[in-house]
Amino acid sequence: MSILDRKLLRDLRALKSQALAVALVMACGLAMMIVTRSLILSLTTTRDTYYERYRFAQVFARLKRAPNFVRAQLAAIPGVATVQSGIAIQVTLDVPGLAEPAVGLLNSLPEHGAPVLNLPYLRAGRLPQSHTARTELAVSEAFADAHGLKPGDTLSAVLNGRKEFFQLSGISLSPEFVFEAPPGAALPDNKTYGVFWAPYKELATAFQLYGAFNNVALTLAPGASEGAVIAAVDRIIAPYGGRGTFGRENHPSHRRLDDEIRVLQGLSIAYPVVFLSVAAFMVNSVMSRQVALQREQIAMLKACGFSNAQVGRHYFKFSLAIVVVGVALGTAGGIILGGKLVAMYHLFFRFPQLAFVLDTHVLVLAAAVSSLAAFIGVAGAVRRAVRLPPAEAMRPEAPASYRPAFIERFRAAHWFSASFRMALRNIQRRPVRSALTCLALALATGIMIVPNAFRDGVAYVLDFQWDVVQRQTATLSLVEPQAARAIADFRHLPGVELAEPFRYVPIELRSGPIVRRMNLQGLSAHATLSRVIDARPQQLTLPERGVVISAKLADVLRVKPGDFLIVHTLEGEERDVTVPLAGLADDFAGIAAYMEIHAVNRLMLEGDRINGAHLVVTAAKWSEFLHAVKNTPRAAGCVIKASIREGFRQTTAQSIGLLQKMYMMFAVIVAFGIIYNSARISLSERARELATLRVLGFTRGEVGAVLVGELVLLTIVALPFGLALGSAFARGILSVVNTETVRLPLVLTPANYAFAVLVVAVASALSALFAARKLANIDLVSALKALD
Amino acid sequence: MPTAESVTPTSDTVTAELEPVFHVCGLARIYGEGEAAVTALAGVDFDLFAGELIVLLGASGSGKSTLLNQLGGLDSPTRGTLHYRGWDLGGADEPGLTQFRRNAVGFVFQAYNLIPSLTARENVALIAEIARDPMTPEEALHLVGLGERMDHFPAQLSGGEQQRVAIARAIAKRPEVLLCDEPTGALDVRTGITVLEAIEHINRELGTLSVIITHNAIIADMAGRVFTLSDGRLVNVRANTHRAPVRTLAW
Repeated sequence: MSILDRKLLRDLRALKSQALAVALVMACGLAMMIVTRSLILSLTTTRDTYYERYRFAQVFARLKRAPNFVRAQLAAIPGVATVQSGIAIQVTLDVPGLAEPAVGLLNSLPEHGAPVLNLPYLRAGRLPQSHTARTELAVSEAFADAHGLKPGDTLSAVLNGRKEFFQLSGISLSPEFVFEAPPGAALPDNKTYGVFWAPYKELATAFQLYGAFNNVALTLAPGASEGAVIAAVDRIIAPYGGRGTFGRENHPSHRRLDDEIRVLQGLSIAYPVVFLSVAAFMVNSVMSRQVALQREQIAMLKACGFSNAQVGRHYFKFSLAIVVVGVALGTAGGIILGGKLVAMYHLFFRFPQLAFVLDTHVLVLAAAVSSLAAFIGVAGAVRRAVRLPPAEAMRPEAPASYRPAFIERFRAAHWFSASFRMALRNIQRRPVRSALTCLALALATGIMIVPNAFRDGVAYVLDFQWDVVQRQTATLSLVEPQAARAIADFRHLPGVELAEPFRYVPIELRSGPIVRRMNLQGLSAHATLSRVIDARPQQLTLPERGVVISAKLADVLRVKPGDFLIVHTLEGEERDVTVPLAGLADDFAGIAAYMEIHAVNRLMLEGDRINGAHLVVTAAKWSEFLHAVKNTPRAAGCVIKASIREGFRQTTAQSIGLLQKMYMMFAVIVAFGIIYNSARISLSERARELATLRVLGFTRGEVGAVLVGELVLLTIVALPFGLALGSAFARGILSVVNTETVRLPLVLTPANYAFAVLVVAVASALSALFAARKLANIDLVSALKALD
Repeated sequence: MPTAESVTPTSDTVTAELEPVFHVCGLARIYGEGEAAVTALAGVDFDLFAGELIVLLGASGSGKSTLLNQLGGLDSPTRGTLHYRGWDLGGADEPGLTQFRRNAVGFVFQAYNLIPSLTARENVALIAEIARDPMTPEEALHLVGLGERMDHFPAQLSGGEQQRVAIARAIAKRPEVLLCDEPTGALDVRTGITVLEAIEHINRELGTLSVIITHNAIIADMAGRVFTLSDGRLVNVRANTHRAPVRTLAW
């Protein structure tokens, strides 16, 4: 080891806490880089292998009903490699242990032979077989996990209006349902939505589709044009009620996964850049101070014949040592966080196996970019040092010159105390350093805002939906629509204080070429429980004629109130009815359509019929009520508002909770690091000044206040700036996340702001206190020795 | 060793009361321990009275700065008695020492030690933030002959001017003691004279007990008593029968 290296080690030991502070900030950036790049690698490789092995299709189409021979026409399209046709149909499920009805998407397995595309991956049991005593179903893993279902269990579903019982043969996954959620949902709700596989024959028979299909998937031959194939498929299936052919990029599960990877890609650049910039700035301030302190040593080294390159290399090595620690901490942090985030992804994405794969290339990249950051940080300081002619460097640096701060031009400045003036002038004397310190603190504050804005947005939507829109305590639905007098039975259930009927009809809403599927919700005009809310937000009275749709849906359909829409009913006899658009609802339900209940009955050409009722049940008779509901044969299901709400709360709490902790840790590290470093540098630069104050009779606390005064001012400026920055981050990220059906409002609460301010302020204060402990070490006597 | 007679004030110094400001007995300061121990002060005895002007003479390493630091509450003795107005300064704790420096002592250093980010006026006003009954900065600066240039920053002032600001800052709290460590060390003769004149003026006008460290024997002529230190011992105490006016000094 050369003597210079030995000096390096000793200098490092003396500066260890500052070096560690810088390394930690660097580690945050590197951990984010390693986590995001590794998650991208994990997700893409897992997805690609899964897609390939389990033959995920490339083009998809839904239609009403096409005879099986159409399949051969599709296979004959030039560029089509493989075709798989089958049935996919949504049904209402009765799951043991779940009070409310769930929705199941039933997919058929080929009648003969094994599936050729979108192969199910069997986790447990076996695939359902035909001709069994009781029809068998395979269930998706997410749904099975949510309900503790296992092969052999039974559940019932309403198939085409008839309740049938099924036996579970196995638990399965599919590349088609990596993200398993009802159409348009941003978060999976595995309790109330599940995917199932059933033998073709049983499913087709139940829906009178035998010899036909309503769902088709295909792959392309190498080099084939997806656009051309989609156009050809559309042409062929149009006469059979084709509902639009789409490629993978519009496949809901694929798209959601792709969105996640895209968000990760953004983060994999944005966060490291932010944190490494802060780290580069910190390296620069530490090294500038170190070089200034070692001015005479540098002069001596050069006087002894060391070259500029050797001296430069010496200080660069110093910052490289910080990089080594930063990379080590960042890698460890990245692996730990990566493991936790992969577990969180399990809530959203289901693969046969998703393990955290450390992207080793990114380690090299991490080392390279952090070295670059350190190099940028150290370069300026070293350049100044080696430029000094030895003779000049031997002399102490000229005393700092100051001017009154800009703000002191104002009249009020007359009342500023001397220590306040000192803080102001120190800030103004080093504008770049002050601005960067301020910016780093603002970033620390800003990153705290993002996860909490998400949490508050979700909470707002849930509160709005369940306190303002849906005010019932429970919803009872009937197996089949029944005469409205059934409501009288509900009113007689124990504890029921209020019952309001509803009628739900599945429809397609059309405006020109644009079509969307949903339930048309028939409600009482003056319903007090499940209400339609407009933009004000006030209750909208449903008119006798016309439909009210959500504002977002009106945008999608490009219609405004007064325009006409075609309602195509999908229950009973299918027909098209033209209805005027009577108003716009402004809730967060995604795409929704409402109509006065009697208007729905007229549209359906039926008498007063209902699907169920929303109820208010008194808490005192709650258990009696539940007991009575279970013995009501006509009740298909009972949705307990509180339990759904709790389910959502838990899912968001799990995923956002982890992010909150992660971001809070980053914020604390940055705030603590930047303040600690600034305070230590200030302490070093102003040792003489602070010692003088002590000699003049200032107490340690008063001198501490002078030392951190400037940092307090910078923090005070940084906090509101950080809140604005964080709000902008949150707005930006939401605009990426929000889609046609997912509409998360930007909710910035005082509590969110207060918490961010509190965390950064407390971290800063503790850090300043920690640094100020060093004031005790100032040697008053030697600090005052004459400058020789 | 100084005689008992030589440590009493001369008729030249005005003493309203006989109780000494500082009572020093067997005062020793040893740095380090064991073989590495360095004796900076080997046991000195003296009393200092209100209104005196004392010059501490001695070569580099004689212990004069160590003694001044003890008197100023910057350091605590290893052995011996150090009383300030009957209070055990030598045994005081850190907050006690801070209060002592805050209320009783004004310091002037060779290197001025002004706060670079504050103007002359503000450097003095800084004391007003912590002292009990301070002068206005203007009053203090007039006393040292710096009526103008009050709003200049230290970097814009000459060495002599900076040192006079330092003196103004030291006396603004109306201290009972003014301690000056080589106040002219960094200055040329003419500038040094103006600085010493300021100290003399303060001593006469305010009756502040002033102690000046110097290795320049000529300066000793302005003192009432001259203490000479060597190897950590007080080797000579001389009372000047006539205090020479500073303007007559030359070196």
